Amino acid sequence: MAAKDRTTANVGAGNWKGLGMWAWLLFRVAGLVVAAYLFVHIAIISTGRVSGETTLNNIFKTFDKPLFVLLDVLLVWAVLYHALNGVRVLLMDLGVGIHRHKAVFIGAMVVAVVFLGFFAVKAIEFLT
Amino acid sequence: MTEQTIGASAPRADSPAGALRTPSGAGAWQRASKQAIDAARGGVWPWLFQRITAVILIWGLGSHLIATHIYALGELSYGNIGHRLAAAYFVAVDISLLAAALYHALNGVRMVVLDYWFKSAASRRSLAIGLWVLGGAFFVYGMWALWPWITK
Repeated sequence: MAAKDRTTANVGAGNWKGLGMWAWLLFRVAGLVVAAYLFVHIAIISTGRVSGETTLNNIFKTFDKPLFVLLDVLLVWAVLYHALNGVRVLLMDLGVGIHRHKAVFIGAMVVAVVFLGFFAVKAIEFLT
Repeated sequence: MTEQTIGASAPRADSPAGALRTPSGAGAWQRASKQAIDAARGGVWPWLFQRITAVILIWGLGSHLIATHIYALGELSYGNIGHRLAAAYFVAVDISLLAAALYHALNGVRMVVLDYWFKSAASRRSLAIGLWVLGGAFFVYGMWALWPWITK
């Protein structure tokens, strides 16, 4: 399919007109959330050496509570969204699928949701 | 206007349409926009490293999340981390992740920050140096924290 002219590319796209903008915005928000978590993660894991084995094991017990399991699934979603949209960005940089970027985005999201399903099923098994 | 048949939707900077937006000539407009693009994109090497670390993270985080969330679910403990880090593969995963994630995260934050602040070249340089110091410190601290497990 040939590229549409710039001025007509989005005509008839309706509510999907701004898809690329939302993809970009959520990519950025998810990236910042995961970046913030990285530093929290380093701080928590380092308590194993700073405060010792018992402290770290007690923190891990807190993370087994349903609220933290839910937050963990949300974090997995942030990672999966950022990773799969990132794959789309890499493909665009390589010139793959530029004229079909919305289809590539939807494909990437299908993959992300399937992976999220695996993690969500495991989280539910863990809680029950 | 016959030269405009190529790329009809994107006026060239040296075309009459582009010239309307150039107070001091097409050359100056091109130089100014090139500088603006370079500043906003944060440089070509960080761009490349962001993509290289992205590929490392897809492999490393994939291994890390499958190991902690699928295989060792509910077994998260000090001892379990030591058990995992007894395998050379996961030592490689964890060290690669620490380095790649710190670079990718801090460069990502830098890209967001550059969209709004640090407009001068000198301040952008200070920001980059500050983030390298921060990332280096966290890498050393992270390695220090993992060391008892790695060497056990």
